[in-house]
Amino acid sequence: MQKEQDVTRREFLKTAAAVAAATTLPSAGAPAILSAQSLSNPVRYGVIGTGTEGCTLLRFLTTIPEGRCIATCDIYPPNLKKGVETIGTNPETYEDYRKMLERKDLDAVLIATPLNLHAQMVLDALSAGKQVFVEKTMYFKEEEGDQIRKASAEHPKQVLQVGLQRRSSLLYQVGMEMIRKGALGKIMFVRAQWHRNNNWRRPVPDPKYERLINWRMYKEYSGGLLAELASHQVDVANWAIGSEPVSVVATGGIDYWKDGRETCDNVQAIYEYPGGQKLLWSSILYNAHLEFDEQIMGDRGTLIITLGKGMYYREAVAKVSSSNSKENWWAGATVTSLAPQEGIPIFPERGANGEIGFVDREVRYAKRWLASMGIYSYEEPHDPWWTEMYNFMLSVRDGKPVIAPLEIGVADARGVIYGNRAVETGQKVFWPKAQPLKET
Amino acid sequence: MRINLKATFNSGARGRWIVLAAMLAAGAWLARADDAAIRYEASHESMGTVFTVAVYGRDQAFLSEVVNEVFEEIDRLDEQMSNYKPESELSVINREAAQHEMIVEPRLFGLIQFSLRASQESGGAFDITVGPLMKRWGFFRGQGRLPSPAEISQVLNAVGYQHVYLVPERRGLRFDVSGVEIDLGGIAKGYAVDQAVEILRSNGIMGALVSSGTSSIYALGSPPGERGWKVTVRDPFEAGKAADVFRLQNFALSTSGNYEKSFKIGSKTYCHIMDPHTGWPVENMLSTVVVAPTGTESEALTKIFFVGGVEKSRPYLASHPNALAVFYQPGERPQTFKRTVLRSKSFQLPSDSLAEFEK
Repeated sequence: MQKEQDVTRREFLKTAAAVAAATTLPSAGAPAILSAQSLSNPVRYGVIGTGTEGCTLLRFLTTIPEGRCIATCDIYPPNLKKGVETIGTNPETYEDYRKMLERKDLDAVLIATPLNLHAQMVLDALSAGKQVFVEKTMYFKEEEGDQIRKASAEHPKQVLQVGLQRRSSLLYQVGMEMIRKGALGKIMFVRAQWHRNNNWRRPVPDPKYERLINWRMYKEYSGGLLAELASHQVDVANWAIGSEPVSVVATGGIDYWKDGRETCDNVQAIYEYPGGQKLLWSSILYNAHLEFDEQIMGDRGTLIITLGKGMYYREAVAKVSSSNSKENWWAGATVTSLAPQEGIPIFPERGANGEIGFVDREVRYAKRWLASMGIYSYEEPHDPWWTEMYNFMLSVRDGKPVIAPLEIGVADARGVIYGNRAVETGQKVFWPKAQPLKET
Repeated sequence: MRINLKATFNSGARGRWIVLAAMLAAGAWLARADDAAIRYEASHESMGTVFTVAVYGRDQAFLSEVVNEVFEEIDRLDEQMSNYKPESELSVINREAAQHEMIVEPRLFGLIQFSLRASQESGGAFDITVGPLMKRWGFFRGQGRLPSPAEISQVLNAVGYQHVYLVPERRGLRFDVSGVEIDLGGIAKGYAVDQAVEILRSNGIMGALVSSGTSSIYALGSPPGERGWKVTVRDPFEAGKAADVFRLQNFALSTSGNYEKSFKIGSKTYCHIMDPHTGWPVENMLSTVVVAPTGTESEALTKIFFVGGVEKSRPYLASHPNALAVFYQPGERPQTFKRTVLRSKSFQLPSDSLAEFEK
């Protein structure tokens, strides 16, 4: 018999607050507080690949004194220059990352290069004794997963973190804790989409740089929409369901942007998980109405979440229980049907209900109400990119747990690789062996 | 002419009679669900509210199927009787019955027939043609406004159950003036509760409770090991605070309250329950609760008593059996209420029923 797990609104709010309180993140003012330890013993790191993503990381790193950028590397001179300007610490620059890895004073590297280069760079960095952060998707080809696993096992004291920013979002952490506490009931379906209305290209100053700059368009370097976009959302589904998939069917094509690209401008995929759960994912580049979010559906509620916003909708569903509880039913004038359909915004707030004063509690309630009306939007204490970088520095320097470690990245990469295989072959693709994912 | 309020169309009535008090010594002979039963509860949105059904039985799959059938039936009733949906049978009647006679589906005809009888019996305190008046007061749009006396007077020309003519032998219906509209919002939920109970009974369910957004409740049998279903009436000023407690078995309870829909102009609050005679919202009544054998009856009676008030309701209860009414009126101090309990003079309780008022 299914156990009763009726989660009231109050219990839900308590859960959200308690989860927020349990996190170990610094307060919103942390970047300005430079501890003596941070200044005297920063992690010395280098960034490989200072294009768009690499410079995004660098911008957040400028406010994290626990690390100091001493080297940057890129084969495209404008990017190299942009990276140096972004970080502002006058790092030594390299065109060959191997040269950079030879530096003895380099503790860690952050890899933000085209996907096809990830695995070799990770292997070389681990081999060189460096701590490693690698952007998602962690690797490009199926066999690279085991190579990275082997190398990581051979260097057990070295950090390996994958750049899945949602793992660093306090909002997502609250959402996942709600799932663990049963607020959504049994999770059976996740629907996610990443829809844009543009060609997904970057401007190319000279045609000879087309493949270098628009590497995402070419199969030699890229896994296309699945690698660049689905990787975030497959990971969210894996996180919510607690496993990687067992199979995937998918289709896609170059049906709108027929501009010489090799990767699809639309992909639709259905992933199946060990318990029969499904992830229905789509990406299109010709309509942005739905933009991007994940809709996690259980038999007791739905969580619609994306970076910066999360809404919980309670399901008016059946409850089955033993018959030993006392019945008590309320009578009153008609209750309108609107209340159960209203979403409750979830907030990544700190502080448990019992630990805050009356005024704070009322302010929090008012903010939730305003947010539910679309009048107020809540921001995380830190951008998840910042948190991701901060966590990496603490993992390297202080041995803090890695937020998105190796197996999270492997499961995510397999989702991308098998999804693309399903698109290309038109066949259902089965996982060699699906594995449960440990909580981080 | 005295008209029996017992619905001729509703087999759910089945001659059950209401009796107030603890008439059942040990209650050992009450019909009870098996102690080993599991409890299944589900909710479903329909008719602008949330219907909830809790049932006891042995087989979860079977219980869920029965409850789904209940919800499908309630949806069918909503599709037929809604005046918010332009394609509903009732909306078509409202559009066309002033031009020509309409032939009405049997169940809907029965409910309209019952409603008109209730209107006659109550001297028009209950009236299913009050819809245009409520529209003029802004209650359908959710934005209350104070109409002018001239507006009210004009609207009242098309308000009144006397404008609805029935031809029972062919289930014919017509309006004698244009502008008449039937609104079953004051009775359809209670009727839906009764239809739900019929489905539960026909599937052998012995213990269940059906609630239409808390306003109409039917207690079928009792929960395992319990003597009736405990039903707590909310305080008119504060949801979640108890005003009174009932124990019910094979009985219905309905509530009308001024707090359901209301708006304020200046310091005055206007509620959504209209006095069809004056065209103005009822004043000096917070809520009324009625216990009766069926949801259809109890829901109609709450409106009759809410509009009529305590004194006008006394003769009605004196001459009509089997009803219990609780009136909640403003107390002398703010946010307080005074309670008046009236009941019919004669009560006969069927052996399988219970209706206790635990004041």
